[in-house]
Amino acid sequence: MTDVTLTINGEERSASVPPETSLLRLLRDEFFLTGSKLGCDVGDCGACTVIVDGLPVNACLMLAGQVDGRDVVTIEGLATLEDLHPIQKAFEEFASLQCGFCGPGVIISAKGLLDRNPDPTKEEIKDALSGNLCRCTGYTKMIEAVQDAARILRGEKEAA
Amino acid sequence: MTDDVKVADKTDSLTDLKETDEDLRLPSVVEPAHFPVETIDTEARHQTPAVGQRATRPDGRLHGLGQTKYIDDITFPNMLFAKMKRAGISSALIKSVDTSEAEAMPGVAAVLTGREIPVNSYGPSYQDQPVLADERVFHAGDPVAAVAAVTEQIAEEACERIKVEYEPLEPVYDPVEAMKDEIRVHPPHSNIYATKRIKKGDLEKGFAEADRIFEGVYSTQMIEHVPLEPHASIAQWDPNGRVTLWSSLGRITLGRADIARTLDMPINKIRIVGTIVGGNFGGKNEITTEPALALLSRKTGRPVKMVYTREEEFIASTTRHPFIMEYKTGVTNDGMITARKVRLVLDGGAYCSWSETTLGKACILSAGPYNIENLLAEAYCMYTNKTMTGAMRGFGAPQVCFAYESQMDEIAHKLGIDPLELRMKNAFHEGSASPTGQVLQSVVVKDSLEKAAERFGWKEDGQ
Amino acid sequence: MRAFDFVSAESADQAISLLSEHGPNVIVLAGGTDILVDLKHAKHDPDVVVDITRAEDLKGIEVNDGGLRIGALVTHTQIMDDPYIRENFPALVHAAHTIGAVQTRNLGTLGGNLVTCVPSMDSGPALMALEAEVTVAGPDGTRRMGLEEFFVGPRKTVLEHNEVLLDVIIPRKNLGKPADFLKFGLRKGQALALVNAASALWVGEGNTFKDVKISLGAVAPTVIRAAAAEDFLEGREITPENMAEAGRLAVEDAKPIDDFRASASYRRDLIAVLTKRTLDNAYRLAQGG
Ligand SMILES: Cc1cc2nc3c(=O)[nH]c(=O)nc-3n(C[C@H](O)[C@H](O)[C@H](O)COP(=O)(O)OP(=O)(O)OC[C@H]3O[C@@H](n4cnc5c(N)ncnc54)[C@H](O)[C@@H]3O)c2cc1C
Ligand code: FES
Ligand code: FES
Repeated sequence: MTDVTLTINGEERSASVPPETSLLRLLRDEFFLTGSKLGCDVGDCGACTVIVDGLPVNACLMLAGQVDGRDVVTIEGLATLEDLHPIQKAFEEFASLQCGFCGPGVIISAKGLLDRNPDPTKEEIKDALSGNLCRCTGYTKMIEAVQDAARILRGEKEAA
Repeated sequence: MTDDVKVADKTDSLTDLKETDEDLRLPSVVEPAHFPVETIDTEARHQTPAVGQRATRPDGRLHGLGQTKYIDDITFPNMLFAKMKRAGISSALIKSVDTSEAEAMPGVAAVLTGREIPVNSYGPSYQDQPVLADERVFHAGDPVAAVAAVTEQIAEEACERIKVEYEPLEPVYDPVEAMKDEIRVHPPHSNIYATKRIKKGDLEKGFAEADRIFEGVYSTQMIEHVPLEPHASIAQWDPNGRVTLWSSLGRITLGRADIARTLDMPINKIRIVGTIVGGNFGGKNEITTEPALALLSRKTGRPVKMVYTREEEFIASTTRHPFIMEYKTGVTNDGMITARKVRLVLDGGAYCSWSETTLGKACILSAGPYNIENLLAEAYCMYTNKTMTGAMRGFGAPQVCFAYESQMDEIAHKLGIDPLELRMKNAFHEGSASPTGQVLQSVVVKDSLEKAAERFGWKEDGQ
Repeated sequence: MRAFDFVSAESADQAISLLSEHGPNVIVLAGGTDILVDLKHAKHDPDVVVDITRAEDLKGIEVNDGGLRIGALVTHTQIMDDPYIRENFPALVHAAHTIGAVQTRNLGTLGGNLVTCVPSMDSGPALMALEAEVTVAGPDGTRRMGLEEFFVGPRKTVLEHNEVLLDVIIPRKNLGKPADFLKFGLRKGQALALVNAASALWVGEGNTFKDVKISLGAVAPTVIRAAAAEDFLEGREITPENMAEAGRLAVEDAKPIDDFRASASYRRDLIAVLTKRTLDNAYRLAQGG
């Protein structure tokens, strides 16, 4: 068994899991954080995207043992009890998601982008989302929502 | 004393009762509502206030929060995980299935083979697909056994330890080759399992009227839907002999009937909870693993879950039909279509699934949105030893569209006519009749073409 | 995934001793973007996985007496973000940028890309055109070699089970050498190369090709140098015609195959075009454009 202690969404959590457990399985099966989805399990779809030490990564491609002592942010860590994160709000307002399965991964990728680049161009948004496959939408409304959320986060626009 | 009792007039009261009853009862057959003589036509290009408005979705917030519960997000206490052993050979007789080593593995709760399934066949139109292949394998993605274990990992290893002995048979992969019926996928049945023919006008006369005749063969490839959420279900058999299935299935009522059939159980003992679907696109329109999971749950007394891997999505779920399309079209020198002959060969893969529907739609739409007085469209759907094909957005419409529009471009090029003009000349108008004689209303194809051409600058480009 | 044991190394030395101790059925884990996929598809069934992501001595990008040193654990994102590399080696930035997507680039390392050694690897061509060398460390010490020697075949390098790749070094003489990398995939993101190519050159006297190096990927069992094309160009005047001729000669240097991504004949066309374009772009860079 591999023992891991890590910070998830600001809280310290521990678990003891078989060594072959992926970070995604750890989050979903041990901590019941089912927001991160398993779409392919091999790094192609981005449905499992989480932020590790500030950078978006595929949770299906990391082993639990590799995140011991590290900081993980999942989709469950974005909203507070009082309010949605501006990206979540924009995704709702722009109806950016249809079936929603890709949504948590896309939103985490968008957060990863805006944390590093508060004023991205459309091309930069596309590049940041290129590791997230969506089969329902055409990405257009996601891009619009990310632009809108960026404006709110920069303080150029009031949150709705 | 009895004389005091006023006996009601039997016949009277019965009539009364009957009348009241009739008043309350809905007619069992709805009276045909006659079409209004004057049809209400919406003006072309007229937009209702809803068009162009932004609407939010009621499920949007939960999606964004990651709180929508898809099936893989649901767990039950004591739940087992199932995996299926895939054949890996596209056509073979199954000589034997040895599950003993798998059953002996610690953590394995139950193993199921095809012979244990009460009625081992299903399908939305023909019941030609086994839940678990028992006597014969029809395509490489066929499951030959299912395992329920305490973890997915153990279930997977157990599948590897199941030994299946096959007698390989010669497969047929090419649908045109399959038409010869030299190798039959489902003997004794012909490989041609569905056909359709639409005739309109006089084909020979139409071709005689043409100045030029164009012939071409077009083909499209197999396409997987790739819903981001893989197929998944959970089954729980309860001690009352009822089974509850949580499933990503899109058509639950139809699925329920199919499950009842395979389990040889009354339909009222089967409950399906349709969970939120993470993308369907036609690929989740029929049952897959549900009956097997139900039986595994009965064997173990525990809930059993199975989620397809991405690989299984490609090899074991339905796909879009590859088409081979022969088009022969007669046109006058000024670009009027006088006749068209279409022959479609659909590669149906190993099972029928929604092929009949696809075949019908494709055939009806194969002439395109054009006024063609003389038409013959024939379509054949073939069994081959490949992953089965089924419903996918458009039911055959995109494939034929690729063919007839490709040919329209060739015709325009050869006749030296602007491709847009060629289409405008022949396109449906208000009141045009479709190949099957349906009189069409609210026909805006020309308006749409014009508007689109204007928007993307077709004329300016000098095309 | 099959069961295995997991151990973590804090340094290259510790990794080597863990590998020796648990070997030979052991495997090094860096970013995991290649190896986890293989483990899930049961292509490997190791007893022990040695995680090296905590080995600080395998990280870092620096310029020293030997040249530019890039630690094996440097991720593709770190290459894209490094100010020195951005300034001096845009070809390496381009190559890193074409790999997978943001998530894969944040995890995937340069070392992992080279060790996986698929013919279509995107880090290979630009580094080979810049005559990069690698340092390999094992129980008996370290050795240094060029990439041509390091790559043995598809998915095979000279590494023994108890050796690790320490770093990649671009020799001092090539610091700032104008170079370009191009990749042709079926889509922009998340696609492997049908063909990729890189060229590096100095402009010699009289506007001639000097020390020109051309490297190609996905056209032979490993990433290769296009020797005939290089020989042809050396000392010749820099003209579009000569670049095009080098493209044609590069096709002769390669042995492309038919596979599900592309046909050999399509790959041959791509080799000619990409070679010519990388030469042209490298030359523009040399001109300060
Ligand atoms: C979705 C996706 C898209 C991708 N797209 C591309 C692409 O476009 N182009 C491309 O080139 N690649 C691509 N890859 C492949 C992969 O991302 C890269 O090859 C990556 O650089 C591998 O690095 P890693 O650190 O993840 O390696 P790992 O998976 O950790 O290791 C790979 C191999 O190298 C060995 N290894 C790693 N580091 C060392 C070391 N220091 N010493 C000794 N052995 C070592 C491991 O044992 C293993 O055999 C893609 C992968 C995915 C999942
Ligand atoms: S599940 Fe991790 S990328 Fe698809
Ligand atoms: S909304 Fe369904 S996959 Fe993106």
